[in-house]
Amino acid sequence: MIPYLLRRSGASVLVLFGITLLTFVVFFALSPDPAVTICGKTCTPDRIETIRGVLGLDQPFLTQYGHFLQGLFVGRRYGVGENAVQCAAPCLGFSFQTNQPVLQMIAARLPQTVTVAVGAAVLWLLVGVSGGLLGAIKRGTVWDKGAMLTALGGISLPNYFLALLLQYVLVVRLQVLPFPDSSIGLTQDPVGWFESYLMPWIVLAFGYASLYLRLTRDTVLDTLSENYVRTGRAKGLPRGLLLRRYALRPSMAPVVTLFGMDFAGLLAGALIAETVFGINGVGKLAADSIATNDQPVIMAVTLLAALLVVVGNMVVDVVYTLLDPRVRISQ
Amino acid sequence: MTAPTTRPGSGTAGVPLLEVRDLQVGVPGRDGPLALVHGLSFAVDAGRTLGIVGESGSGKSMTSLAIMGLLPPGATASGSVRLRTQRHPEGEELLSAGAGRLRGLRGDRMAMIFQDPLSCLNPYYRVGVQVAEAHRVHRGSSRRQARALAVDVLGRVGIPRPHQRVDDYPYQFSGGMRQRIMIAMSLVCEPDLLIADEPTTALDVTVQAQILALLSDLQREFGTGMIYITHDLAVVSQVAEDILVLREGRPVEHGPAEQIFSDPQQDYTRELLDAVPRIDDPVPAPHLQGGTTPLRPPGTSWGGGTP
Amino acid sequence: MATPGVLIVETQGATDRTPLAAAPRRGVLRALLRRPAAALSLGCILVLVLMAVFAPVLSSLGGWSPYAFDPKAIDADLGGVPLGPLGGAGARHWFGVEPQSGRDIFARIVTGARVSITIAVLATALTTAIGVLMGMVAGYLGGVADQVISRLMDFLMAFPALIFMIALLSALPAGQRQYLLVVVLTFFGWPYTARIVRGQTLALKARDFVEAARSSGASDGAVVLREILPNLRGTILVLSTMSVPGFIGTEAGLSFLGIGVVPPTPSWGQMIAASVSWYTVDPWYFVIPGLFLFVTVLSFTVLGDHLKSVLDPGGNPS
Repeated sequence: MIPYLLRRSGASVLVLFGITLLTFVVFFALSPDPAVTICGKTCTPDRIETIRGVLGLDQPFLTQYGHFLQGLFVGRRYGVGENAVQCAAPCLGFSFQTNQPVLQMIAARLPQTVTVAVGAAVLWLLVGVSGGLLGAIKRGTVWDKGAMLTALGGISLPNYFLALLLQYVLVVRLQVLPFPDSSIGLTQDPVGWFESYLMPWIVLAFGYASLYLRLTRDTVLDTLSENYVRTGRAKGLPRGLLLRRYALRPSMAPVVTLFGMDFAGLLAGALIAETVFGINGVGKLAADSIATNDQPVIMAVTLLAALLVVVGNMVVDVVYTLLDPRVRISQ
Repeated sequence: MTAPTTRPGSGTAGVPLLEVRDLQVGVPGRDGPLALVHGLSFAVDAGRTLGIVGESGSGKSMTSLAIMGLLPPGATASGSVRLRTQRHPEGEELLSAGAGRLRGLRGDRMAMIFQDPLSCLNPYYRVGVQVAEAHRVHRGSSRRQARALAVDVLGRVGIPRPHQRVDDYPYQFSGGMRQRIMIAMSLVCEPDLLIADEPTTALDVTVQAQILALLSDLQREFGTGMIYITHDLAVVSQVAEDILVLREGRPVEHGPAEQIFSDPQQDYTRELLDAVPRIDDPVPAPHLQGGTTPLRPPGTSWGGGTP
Repeated sequence: MATPGVLIVETQGATDRTPLAAAPRRGVLRALLRRPAAALSLGCILVLVLMAVFAPVLSSLGGWSPYAFDPKAIDADLGGVPLGPLGGAGARHWFGVEPQSGRDIFARIVTGARVSITIAVLATALTTAIGVLMGMVAGYLGGVADQVISRLMDFLMAFPALIFMIALLSALPAGQRQYLLVVVLTFFGWPYTARIVRGQTLALKARDFVEAARSSGASDGAVVLREILPNLRGTILVLSTMSVPGFIGTEAGLSFLGIGVVPPTPSWGQMIAASVSWYTVDPWYFVIPGLFLFVTVLSFTVLGDHLKSVLDPGGNPS
């Protein structure tokens, strides 16, 4: 299994390089001169030149990309001489807007995003998979039809719309929840923390849960028609055991695959949830940076997202080998 | 159709293990229930084998599913199916038993093996786990006890090196081995009744003979009463003491095997016998009257497809 | 967001099963109309398409252009809140007005429909064309062609598409944004179609009638066009129907983030974005475009579901 994983990680690293290169190209070729943007209103051609020198913007494309990679792995220096700034690895540059090191900016906001993403993921996995399982075994009943209808609504409803709807109904009209405040720590004020994250979790999880419910239900229905389920019943196995070993376990493969892909998309989903609810996470940072065209931050976020994709795929591969014995032996 | 022939010698002295009387099985159809089995009656004794023979669509599998309580949802069974159990030595009525009771009996007192061993084994769990599953459920054995039992049983059905192979997965075995595993699985609680639904049809002839021999040995050892379902008269002649011939859900002939083979009373039985290829047969195999049974509207007998 | 994730999941089953039957068109339509939910969705889609096509006509019926400001409909003293209940809805402005600008929401909704549906349909058409082509080539030719195309598909699917789209679109100038959106959506969307088509092509390739055609000397191109493509009709139909809601959702999401359709061109997602600052006092400003988005995506999804079950009755019933 190890050599297989090594091969796969090799491919993933290539993918990462490809993505960063492409993103770099996009910014290099397409965006307006960042030096002008940084320089701001009171600008002189001299200052622009200086800035370009410091940032290394006057150098050819490949050199710039090289510096970027160098910064990622060993760190790089901006400018020369006594005014030079050292940026330790992994160097993600400095924000055009605030001049802060991007790495720190992201690190400071990461906990909030992780909270949103992980909480939502747990919620949607639990609801989606168990809902789908129940729907499959109670096929055709009111429960099943109701769940499927809700799921249909869930995949059709844009999450930002749901976010606004929830916030309007629960916070403004009914006043059962406060406006989310992401600065509340879990240890300081558990209730407040929970209240703040509840709506983002629901919004992020609703769409995914619907997707997972439909997928699980379809897969379990397929599984239930397998012959080995009949064998299990013929052995007089109790309901719970049958469901666990003969219905659920064989149905997990597509769910795991999908989760691997969604893992990567979590950042995108968090972006929307954070923007609407004002959660100060990486997603909101990305959204704000888009508005101000803060390139280093956008680059860094893209890199992070690419990393998540790669990690997600690797996790799926590992889990797959654990799940399906047939895969395990053939590696 | 002429009246079915039942001969003396096909009953038993004393209380039979399984007694089926006037079994009817139906499934919901577009214009009302479709009858698949019309009034079957037979008995099975401990230690003896009843062979149920018929073509596809004759209702033989449905019969066995009805006995086990494994009919698909919507299907109905009526009549009487009595199994001699500890709780009811005079015969417990299975058709009216509750789901919980049936589940308790299945795998423990009555077991079933099916046709295609690969698709009938759960690919995600080790063979040892699956073999001992019924024992852990019905007898409450521990994980260690169950594993020891699995090794023992696997050895008994002829799996070489059972200590190692107990941890293998189903796809790591050949077809014949897998059927042995299925047999091991079904016998782990030493059931009184074993129903074998075409267990050797998917296997090649040499393996077939081994499996049949294994079944006979185990039956002798455990005293299990067996129902052997097949379309192959050649096979059933080696296994069964009594034979029941089915056609389109109706009994055609029923009696001790030697009598059926030496002196078939019904035309249909004779045709089935003639269709069995023999090594000394100069004449090419004849066509059976009717061939595959066509689907007919309700009101007439049902036909078509595997039950 | 209802992007590729939906596509992958909903058509996942199709790769594993035998190809969907290439049912005659008339039969499909009739079968669909017999199911109330499918008929309703078809009806909704028809209404929306008509709305999109006749947007200019409808706007002038309402009496307002989507770009005209109406200062009389808003209360300047309260910061631009629409006058009257329901966000200013009434005889003058059927759906009310936007806060601050006073633009007619009805006109903007129908024009937004035109914008969103055009983009989604164009993107679907392109994705389907490219996806089918690549999928067939990869599946039928195999070998190097398959390797190259599959690697390319893997690479594109590994991309953090949304983030990259955001990066890309924010870097580009705002002109011709709608065409750009179509290009970007297609660029990231075709692998999903291609992968399904490739799987189906592989399955079809092994079938007898393809063998027969090849052994009778037909060229590769002829086999692909005459034997394989017709049998993909069902799959293509389902895939395109399921792609549309995904693209509508993605475009709306991108517009919501401010990098999709740029103002003053209206887009439902963009309207919802603008409504974020006003939702406490004028909820109708986000409810109306949100409902339209919901109903549109829902109709296409329901239709796609029913199409799938009509064309592939061996599958699981809903």
